[in-house]
Amino acid sequence: MTPKHWEQQGSKRKASPDSQNEYEDEFRLTNLEILSEEDNQAASSDDRWIDELPDINSSFGDEKTDDEQSQIDSVEGASEDENENGSDQENTIFPSIKTVVSDITGQFKQVLPEIEPEYDSDSSIEDDPNCVGNIPLHWYDDLPHIGYNIDGKQILRAARGDELDRFLATVDDPLTWTSAFDKNAQMDKSLTAEELDIIRRLHENENPDANYDPYQPTVEWFTGKGKEEIMPLSGAPEPKRRWVPSSWEKQKVLRIVRAIRQGRILPSKPKTTTKFEFYSIWSEPASSVAAPLPAPKLKLPTHSESYNPPEEYLPTKQERKEWAKMDPEDREQDYLPQKYSSLRLVPAYDQFTKERFNRQLDLYLAPRVHRVKLNIDPNSLIPKLPSPSSLKPFPTYMALKVNQSIHHIRCISISPDGCWAISGDEDGFISLWEVNIGREIKQWKFGGKIGALDWCPRVDVSFFVVCIEGILFFIIPPNLPNSIFSSTYALLAPAASSPAPPTSSPVQWESTSPDSWSPNKPILTVKLPSSSGVPNQIAWHRRGDYLATVAREGTQSGVWIHQVTRRHSQAPFRKLKGTVQLVLFHPLKPHLFVATQQYVRLYNLSEQKLVKTFMPGIRWISSMDVHPSGDHLIVGGYDRKLCWFDLELSEKPYKILRYHTKAIRSLHFHPTYPLFASSSDDGSIQVFHSRVYSDLMTDPLIVPLKILRGHEIRDGLGVLQVRWNSRQPWLLSAGADGTISVWCS
Amino acid sequence: MGRLKQKGKAGAAKAYVTRTAAVRKLQCSLADFRRLCILKGVFPREPRNKRRANKGSSVPTSFYYAKDIAYLAHEPVLKKFREHKAFAKKLSRALGRGEWSSAKSLEEHKPVYKLDHIIKERYPTFIDAVRDIDDALCMVFLFASLPTSDRISPELVENCSHLASQWQLYVMHTRSLRKVFLSIKGVYYQADIMDQPVTWLVPYQFTQHIPLDVDVRVMLTFLELYQTLLGFVFYKLYTDADLVYPPPLDKVKDDGAAGIGAFTLNEMTNTASNLSGFQRTGKMSGQKISGKDVRRTIESIDNSMDENKGDADVSPQEQLIAEADEDFIPQPSATGEPTPALPTLKSLAALPRTAPVNIFSPYTFFLSRETSRPIFEFLIRSFGGRIGWPASSGSGSPFNEDDESITHVIIDRPVVEKMKETEAERNRRLRRKYVQPQWVVDCINAGNILLEEPYSQGKTLPAHLSPFEIYEGAYEPAAADSVMNKQEVEEDDSEEEESEGNEPKTGSEEQRGTEAVTSGADVAGVLEEPGALRIAELAAEVAGVDYGTFERGIAKSEKRRREKGKVEGEEEEEEEMNKMMMSKRQKKLYERIKYSQKKREAEVSL
Repeated sequence: MTPKHWEQQGSKRKASPDSQNEYEDEFRLTNLEILSEEDNQAASSDDRWIDELPDINSSFGDEKTDDEQSQIDSVEGASEDENENGSDQENTIFPSIKTVVSDITGQFKQVLPEIEPEYDSDSSIEDDPNCVGNIPLHWYDDLPHIGYNIDGKQILRAARGDELDRFLATVDDPLTWTSAFDKNAQMDKSLTAEELDIIRRLHENENPDANYDPYQPTVEWFTGKGKEEIMPLSGAPEPKRRWVPSSWEKQKVLRIVRAIRQGRILPSKPKTTTKFEFYSIWSEPASSVAAPLPAPKLKLPTHSESYNPPEEYLPTKQERKEWAKMDPEDREQDYLPQKYSSLRLVPAYDQFTKERFNRQLDLYLAPRVHRVKLNIDPNSLIPKLPSPSSLKPFPTYMALKVNQSIHHIRCISISPDGCWAISGDEDGFISLWEVNIGREIKQWKFGGKIGALDWCPRVDVSFFVVCIEGILFFIIPPNLPNSIFSSTYALLAPAASSPAPPTSSPVQWESTSPDSWSPNKPILTVKLPSSSGVPNQIAWHRRGDYLATVAREGTQSGVWIHQVTRRHSQAPFRKLKGTVQLVLFHPLKPHLFVATQQYVRLYNLSEQKLVKTFMPGIRWISSMDVHPSGDHLIVGGYDRKLCWFDLELSEKPYKILRYHTKAIRSLHFHPTYPLFASSSDDGSIQVFHSRVYSDLMTDPLIVPLKILRGHEIRDGLGVLQVRWNSRQPWLLSAGADGTISVWCS
Repeated sequence: MGRLKQKGKAGAAKAYVTRTAAVRKLQCSLADFRRLCILKGVFPREPRNKRRANKGSSVPTSFYYAKDIAYLAHEPVLKKFREHKAFAKKLSRALGRGEWSSAKSLEEHKPVYKLDHIIKERYPTFIDAVRDIDDALCMVFLFASLPTSDRISPELVENCSHLASQWQLYVMHTRSLRKVFLSIKGVYYQADIMDQPVTWLVPYQFTQHIPLDVDVRVMLTFLELYQTLLGFVFYKLYTDADLVYPPPLDKVKDDGAAGIGAFTLNEMTNTASNLSGFQRTGKMSGQKISGKDVRRTIESIDNSMDENKGDADVSPQEQLIAEADEDFIPQPSATGEPTPALPTLKSLAALPRTAPVNIFSPYTFFLSRETSRPIFEFLIRSFGGRIGWPASSGSGSPFNEDDESITHVIIDRPVVEKMKETEAERNRRLRRKYVQPQWVVDCINAGNILLEEPYSQGKTLPAHLSPFEIYEGAYEPAAADSVMNKQEVEEDDSEEEESEGNEPKTGSEEQRGTEAVTSGADVAGVLEEPGALRIAELAAEVAGVDYGTFERGIAKSEKRRREKGKVEGEEEEEEEMNKMMMSKRQKKLYERIKYSQKKREAEVSL
């Protein structure tokens, strides 16, 4: 189409009856932001306009042919064109360039529109107030000026109104809200309609370009009718395999067919979900393997689990609380007994499933142990012993109780004839009294604690020995028959003093001179070396010539053996392992038992060597006695144990007894009867029957006979010493409560 | 010189393996191992020395016998587990790819394992199995009352309820129920199967729930084993009782909540249809059909003709008892097992009948609608009674409420005055006995019919006691009651005597008084309390005894008591002394036994 045609069309448009339309067009261009229904109409008119466009395009090709004609026309109608296209050109920022034929060269040339000096010029003075140049303005953000003019003078920042002004502006000027601060110009500039339109489009997520058409028709370049490719890309002939069936496949299929025919492949396997049928599984004989142990069954319910239990099974409030507080694993019952008046009121048990589950956990997670259930009558464990009543006589009751002292009575001894007894307390008093009636005959006072005292075991003489710190006193009791007195006197204070031993000894024997002696005084005094301490024990040899004393606390080894006839003392051990607690003469052999804290050693005195060491396993030995036969030994300890040794048998005890509740203090075998007694700090005395057989194969028989109680415990001490009457089955005991008791059968 | 011993090559280190080592050896997951342990009955063991078993480490672990694990390694089920693992992978792959047809065919050929060989291994003889069905029954009864969910399929619940019904049918049929106990947890039943006590617990008729802290997988694995076990046990029990297993199920009745009634017990030999079954057993055991069998068949056919008009519940057991006078031809059981514990009829007859099995046979019961039908139907029919129930409790009641033969009504509601009552209704009500449910259970436990009066409707019930607590030395709550009753009776007697003998008994009265006094003194002596003495004094004063005689009596009794005490004390002392001679080990053992004895006594006296 020619430009003329264009013109025609334009005139046609102009001439179209709706002059209003044109007006609208203009309106649209000026007030873009006020778009409403008119805009739609305008759009529709645009659409119409676009519909006509292809004509323009199609005629594009033959534009050149009509070039010559159109040029003249265009020159002529330039002003018209301008007017006509004004509506279009008003949109563009730059003035449109026209192409004209130069008058001079005859060539085409581009002509820019004339610039009107007043309105169109760039150099209009009012145009740009900011003449700082192309400088980033943020350089001056903190400064009062905004740059420099061409003369180098500061250009001050234009004053801006305060908040109030700004507010007033919003009130006064309706266009304020569409204005923005222009940093370059340093003033508010209201946005143009186009800019507002762009903002609106961006806000509505539309394309910011108003002229963009998202629904352009596709342009088909290579497809579509008449554009199909009909020639093949390659000229190779079709391969054979495209139409000949594969022999390889045939082989495979044949193989499958053969397998199906032979039954190797089942075309449709029977479903495996057939129902399981039970059969008589136990009809075949059982294997010889033993059946695994059955799981233990659950406990059967008791009365308390009943829905209607007897009243006494119902828990009290306290029990309920305790039950609820307990950990579920610690509870003895996993339910609380409850009473319902009738069966219809019984609810479901909420722990039912849980209980079943716990049972199953027990079945597969809990280790099972095969435990032998003890079904023993406890009384069958108690050894059957002969009844004590068949083993009489033995002391059964307290015949006499003598209140002797306010102090602990440490030691006691009975004369060999069994009529007299002496006792010594901690304050240094020694009393001589008659056993049968308990009458005190005489009292001696020594300056110091009495460590030990003992009668001489000889019957032809009668005297006793008392130990205090560092000194042994030999005392003759009063009222002796003349014969005995004279022989005793002769023994202890011989007229012709024996020759002094060749070796000098640290122990001094001193006799009291016959004229100065009185029954109140000791007839013989043996002074042990100083710092030997209080002898705690006196052990007489059976014949009554030798006696041994032991001092536990002494600095030196405290064992001395004294010989009365020779008035000589010697220390048998030069060096000993451990502190010696006790010594004892063997009743038949020249042997000496020496008890240290934990061991008992047996020495042969004549050969001067160690025979045996006994290990009682006691922490601290307190007492010891040897059986009159000399084959058995009992050892007591502060750790409440009593050990019976068979000397022939072993170094270990034959029997260990632990029956006292506190430390054992004293042990004594009866010289003639098969009895022994032990006393303890718990205030009791235990009497045993101890029969020893001459047959080596028979074990000794030990039978507990009687527990004698009667002494009080004072300062944690009970019965400190027990001694048997050598002629009778009577027992004497000295208590820490200051009394002496005689126990008779 | 022998070979050097190496550590960890012999003894506990070799005999035990830890669980981790076991799982690694079996090359399966822990869940599969657990399942396998449950099915095979393998459980951890406690080595005597843990450190030695764990190669010196004392970390707390569970140990298994190495031989047990080696035995698990050859288990066919383990192979199936591995196959299942592969199957599950294939299936999930097919499902993930949306290949529905291949998933379907895979699903159809899912590997399934059977447990019959495990049952045979774990229970080589039938008695072993019967001994161990307690837990199985409990589980089956529990699952029969569970709601279905995605973990618990409806088929499973249905199968469990069928197994439960089959068991109850068998127990009813053989009249082997012995004890029942209504507890707060549920109902305990004890039956005597082949001389083995079988105890099971059934929850009350409420829907049970599985709490969150319970692992359902474990329960389901157990249930799987238990279902199989029970199936085999029931098969054997039914066939031994000449019944067809499984008993045919009437689907219509089952849908109508008939419970046990939905099943019918068919005798193996009495109908032609079951002849094949008989032949099967005959073939199995390879025995001939004896003349006895033929006779029995004929008789049972006759009976089945009678059954149409008569009571359906005449049990074959009774018929067998009836024909017990005939010579019993000893024959092996149908399955040919050596029958270690199957009692012959003669031995049964010779035995004293310990449990009366037909105590309810003369009576006809009707259940009120608030009582639980499954419980009481089972109880009453197990002891020979007839029972009916209203339609609201389920279908299949043999008679309805206005039946004239009803003798007892089991009712569990308070008494309500009936305003409008016709004459006929009133007569009927007076003719029947209305008892509370506990009466039935107490009758069963007592072994005879108790008086209905204390159990009648609306009465406060006597305490319900456990029939299982009958060991020696157990506390008997009833004993205290009876003692109290006796005392009351005695008091009444003495009152009577006093009232009747007013003047002729001065001397005797005095004597009686002193007797009373001495007895009072005895009490005082025993109690050793001043309060008791005071009470005795008051009693003497009431009896009219003068103070002197009272004093004398007191003194005399005191003396007697002291002497007695002395003798006792001596004996005690002797025993105490003999204890000294015990060794340390014996002493400890003695003390332990004594401790447990004391604890038990304290419990009883509480």
